[in-house]
Amino acid sequence: MKLLMWFIPLGLLSLLLAVLVRRRAFKILPFFFTYVTFAVAADLARFATLGHPHPYRMTYWITESIYDILGILVMYEVLRSVLGGMARSRLTRLILPVFVIVGIGLSLAHHETVPPRVTGFLVYIVLAEIAVRFVQVLVFAGLVTLVPLIGMRWRQYPFGVATGFGLYATVMLLTTVKFSDFGTRFKFLWGITSLVAYSVAVLIWIWFFSIPQKIETPVSELSAPSPGDLKKYKDALRRMR
Amino acid sequence: MLSISFTWLIVAWGVLACIYMLRRAWSRFPKRDVDDVIPFLYPVDISLAESLLDPASEFEYRWRLTPQEFRAAQRKRMRLYLELTRRMAHNSRVLVEYADAERNDPDPRRVTLAAALQEKALEVRLYALLTTIKLRSWLLLRSDMVITMAALPHLRTACEIDGLQTYSALKSAATAAFVRLPPDEMDSLARNL
Repeated sequence: MKLLMWFIPLGLLSLLLAVLVRRRAFKILPFFFTYVTFAVAADLARFATLGHPHPYRMTYWITESIYDILGILVMYEVLRSVLGGMARSRLTRLILPVFVIVGIGLSLAHHETVPPRVTGFLVYIVLAEIAVRFVQVLVFAGLVTLVPLIGMRWRQYPFGVATGFGLYATVMLLTTVKFSDFGTRFKFLWGITSLVAYSVAVLIWIWFFSIPQKIETPVSELSAPSPGDLKKYKDALRRMR
Repeated sequence: MLSISFTWLIVAWGVLACIYMLRRAWSRFPKRDVDDVIPFLYPVDISLAESLLDPASEFEYRWRLTPQEFRAAQRKRMRLYLELTRRMAHNSRVLVEYADAERNDPDPRRVTLAAALQEKALEVRLYALLTTIKLRSWLLLRSDMVITMAALPHLRTACEIDGLQTYSALKSAATAAFVRLPPDEMDSLARNL
C-alpha cells in the first residue's frame, strides 16, 4: 500500500512530464514545467531517503518549502496567461497580491484555531503551505467564475493548470478543516485523500495537455496578407468609417 | 469564528468551481462557425453611446432642464446606455464563441487573428459586466439623489478599460478575422456590430 502511494503519483507525474515535453510546455508555461520537473525530482529524492528518518525529514521539508514558492509562481503565470491583455490593468495586477494576503491571513487564523504539530521554522512552512492552498483555490474559483460571466475560454493550458491545482487545494483545505476532528484516524484519511486528489489533479493536467494548443505567433512574424485580402480589409475599413 | 466561515466559503466556492468545470467538460456545445455570427449580432450605435457619455451633453441637460426633468432624462439615458452595453456584451459573447472554434484551425494566421479577436471581446465583456452592475445598481436604488449625482461620462472606463475604444478595437479585430467573407457579408458584419 505504501509503495503504491509512492508509485501512482510518481508514474503519473513522469507521464505528465513526457506530455509537457512533447507539447513544448516549457515555452508556454515555464514555471509549471519547472514545478512538474521538480515534483518528479522531489518524489525520487523522498523515495531514495525513505529508510533514513533524518535525511527523509530534511528532504521532505526542503522540498515542501520549494513547492510553496513554485505554487505561487505558477499561480502568477496562470493569471498572466489567462487574463492576457487585461493583466496589464492596475486592478488585475492587484488580484494575486490580494489573494496572497487573504491566504496568509486565513492560514494564520487557522494556525490559531488548530496549532500545527511541528515547531520552529517548520511552522512557517506549514503556514505557507496552507496559504498557498488558499491562493490556488481563489485563483481557480475566480477564473471559473469568469467563464460564464465574461465567456472566458476554459479549454486552454493555463486553465487546466489552475483546475488541477484548484481541485487538489480544495480537497486538501476541506481535509485540513474537516478531517482534523477525526483525531488519530486523521493521518490515514489525510494520506489517502491527498493521494487520490493529487492523482486526479495530475490526470486533469495530462488531459488538458493531451490536446495540442496552437502557440500564437506574434502578428509581426506572420506572412503578409495577399493583396486581395488587403484590398478587402481596406474596403471594409472604409465602409466602417 | 469569522476565519472559519471564510475558509468554508472559499472551500465551497472551490467545490462549486470543480462541479462547474466537470459539467463544462462533460457537455459538448456545438461550435459556432462563420455562418452563426452575423445573423446573431445586435447593432450597436457607437455615435449614440459617444453622445450619452459626452460630459458636455450631460452638462447641457443639467443646465437646461429643471432638476425633476433632468432626473427623468437621466433615467432614460441610463436605460439606453444599459441597452447598448447589453448589446456589446452579447456581440462579444458571439465573437468569443466564434474565436474559440477558430483557434483550432490549422492556419496559424487565423489562430492569431482569432486570439486577438477573443482578447478584445473578453475586454468588452468585462467592461460590459462592470458597467451593467453599476448602471443596474443606480437604477435599482431609484433614489433621486443617486440619479442626480450619477454621471454617465464616468462609465467611459471600467477597470481601466475604455469601453467605446475597446469596442471599436473589437470591430477592427472582427473585420480582420472575417477578411475572407464576401464583400456583402462583410458589409453586414460592419453594420451589425
